[in-house]
Amino acid sequence: MLKVDGVTKYYDDFKAVDNLSFEVKKGEIFGLLGVNGAGKTTTFRMIMNLISPSKGEITWNGKKIDYSITDKIGFLTEERSLLTKLTVKEQMLFYGALKSLDEETILKRLDKLLKKFEIEEYKDRKINTLSKGNQQKVQFISAIINEPELLILDEPFSGLDPINIELFKSVILELKEKGTSIIFSSHRMDHVELFCEKLVILVRGKSVLEGYLKDIKKDYKIKKVIIEGDVKIGELKKIDGVTNAIKTASCYEVTIKDESYYKNVFNYLKTKDNITKFSLEEPSLEEIFVSKVGEAYGK
Amino acid sequence: MENKFKFLTKYSLLKKLKNKWFLVANIIVLIVIVGLVNIDSIVKFFGGDFNDDVKIRIVDNAGYYQEVKEGLKGVQSYLTDSKIKITKEESEKKAKKKIEGKDDILLVLNEDSNNVFKVDFITDSYVDTVKYQAIITSLNTVKQSIALENSNIDKGELAKISKEVTVERSFLNEDKTKDEEESKMILSVLSMIIVLPCFMLIVFLVQMIGAEINEEKSTRGMEIIIGNVSAKAHFFSKVIASNVFVLLQGFLLIVYAGIGLLIRKLTTAPNESLVKDVASSLDLNEIASSLANGGIVDKLGYIIPLIVILFVLSFLAYSLLAGILASITTNMENFQQLQTPLLVISVIGYYLIFLSAAFPGSLFIKIVVCIPLISISLAPSLLISGEIGVGVVIISIVLLALLDYLLIKYGLKIYKVGILNYSESNLWKKMFKAIKEK
Repeated sequence: MLKVDGVTKYYDDFKAVDNLSFEVKKGEIFGLLGVNGAGKTTTFRMIMNLISPSKGEITWNGKKIDYSITDKIGFLTEERSLLTKLTVKEQMLFYGALKSLDEETILKRLDKLLKKFEIEEYKDRKINTLSKGNQQKVQFISAIINEPELLILDEPFSGLDPINIELFKSVILELKEKGTSIIFSSHRMDHVELFCEKLVILVRGKSVLEGYLKDIKKDYKIKKVIIEGDVKIGELKKIDGVTNAIKTASCYEVTIKDESYYKNVFNYLKTKDNITKFSLEEPSLEEIFVSKVGEAYGK
Repeated sequence: MENKFKFLTKYSLLKKLKNKWFLVANIIVLIVIVGLVNIDSIVKFFGGDFNDDVKIRIVDNAGYYQEVKEGLKGVQSYLTDSKIKITKEESEKKAKKKIEGKDDILLVLNEDSNNVFKVDFITDSYVDTVKYQAIITSLNTVKQSIALENSNIDKGELAKISKEVTVERSFLNEDKTKDEEESKMILSVLSMIIVLPCFMLIVFLVQMIGAEINEEKSTRGMEIIIGNVSAKAHFFSKVIASNVFVLLQGFLLIVYAGIGLLIRKLTTAPNESLVKDVASSLDLNEIASSLANGGIVDKLGYIIPLIVILFVLSFLAYSLLAGILASITTNMENFQQLQTPLLVISVIGYYLIFLSAAFPGSLFIKIVVCIPLISISLAPSLLISGEIGVGVVIISIVLLALLDYLLIKYGLKIYKVGILNYSESNLWKKMFKAIKEK
């Protein structure tokens, strides 16, 4: 289990991470979210032992992270971390050896992974001759060649087309099934929602929201009512407890302060004919993210 | 971690050796060195008018043809590839016609009561300086001899005047000998020749470390590497691999020079023994004899170890500095700029070798020779020539060792921060902060 306990990181007077705590259990996918400059990369660097926290501690199974533990960690950086003059095979032999793997094991695993990612023919090609998407596949393979117990994925779907995103998703879920703990960072909230049971949202290095996704959604008071039928936006906005109402291509989306105001909307709709759909829905993670981050920046 | 360090060092070294450009560069260097060693043969092979006979035509209106002819034979010693041919011409007019469109030289000797004889030097076109000076010198010598003969001095006196002055070299200090003096001069020149490839290897070393670190830093690959191996291990793997590589390259340069000499032997004197020819081509026999007689060979017993220590510590200092500078730059262009002062320092040392010959005993040079990074170029030559003593070299070595220690102690702190730094803002502040950290 990864435990980040009260971690703070200063760069001179600038506080990049502020008293951050979270845990990632075996086989769990954890979302570390935040806008650019929120402190995600600093957190990843501290987990990888590249930099030390100014305060707090990071442990893996109760042990402080050192070079014997980083052998068990896979790290996919947001920017390219490949040595592009090398061939795919040379790259894997290099990174694999740094993870204390022998050549035979690396090549055996590489063949399997290249097949899985459908790029077997690129094994002896120089990385700088590959497309961006294929380079991302190679980078992903380099992060999991050591069959990591903890995998850090910083924007793993960058540069991928929808078909390859599906391929990546299946591999990530497969790793989770095998018991790999995964920390996931992405600006695509739909991806985060798909994978992460638990998450933390960082704003200026500080956690503004954390916990299990289902609980976060449950606890998030603002709800959404979906209406299909003949209603008027102006009338919807006048209802007590309604904070916003918009018309989309197929329906009306009404935002209410909390679940208790649901009845007010229902009572209004009772006065209308031709209502074909009326449902109370939980907000999307993206809405929660925008709301929480906006709130924090407002402060 | 030890295995990872070994792996990184081996990887770094093999990467350089397996690089196809290493092979290409070495083929080119081999061709250039072999070519330089055999440059005279190459020049001769392509031919040219340098090996044509030098025809000197003399019109003698003064009656000194025989004396001048004998005197001009001395010109031959200045001409290695052509033979001198001297002919007497009847008239100036006819002779001028003969040399038209040719490289022949026409000398018209005319009487001159004040000056024994005077000469008109006539050619169709320009004549090279060496040839011109050699002829003028010979004519002057002839003129002086004739003048002395004409002044009724007896033959014994004349022989005394013409004979070169006898110089007896002696030293008040009984430890000093003429052979040692000569051998020091020889070794001093040799050490200057040896320092030049060393300077080239330093440039090579600095650029190689910079390029390799910047290549890894140009992507986030450095984060993956440093995430799995300590910055210290990474740093020393680069330093050791690069130094081993440079050592190997230095050895290859010696081998290439050997190949050049072998080819010289095979192409120039197939009937003579190889050793003899190689030795004679460089005058090695003569050099060896001077060195042995001068007793310098005995002193090489401590001179060589001191120079080797100086070289090892200097190469280490240059590679440590190159690694530190490369770590704080964010791309190769920045490193190129930052390495310039480092290379200028090594050039200063090289120039000071020549300056030391012009200013023997200079206190300034004796102080500069102690400065680390400069000492590698300057100290070997000055130690051999006797300009500085062993004590000064030991001071240079101690200062170098101190610099290496400081570079390892504080430079490593900079390296640790620098290699993961991708921003140029507050760069120096970050580095000074890194030094202060415990």
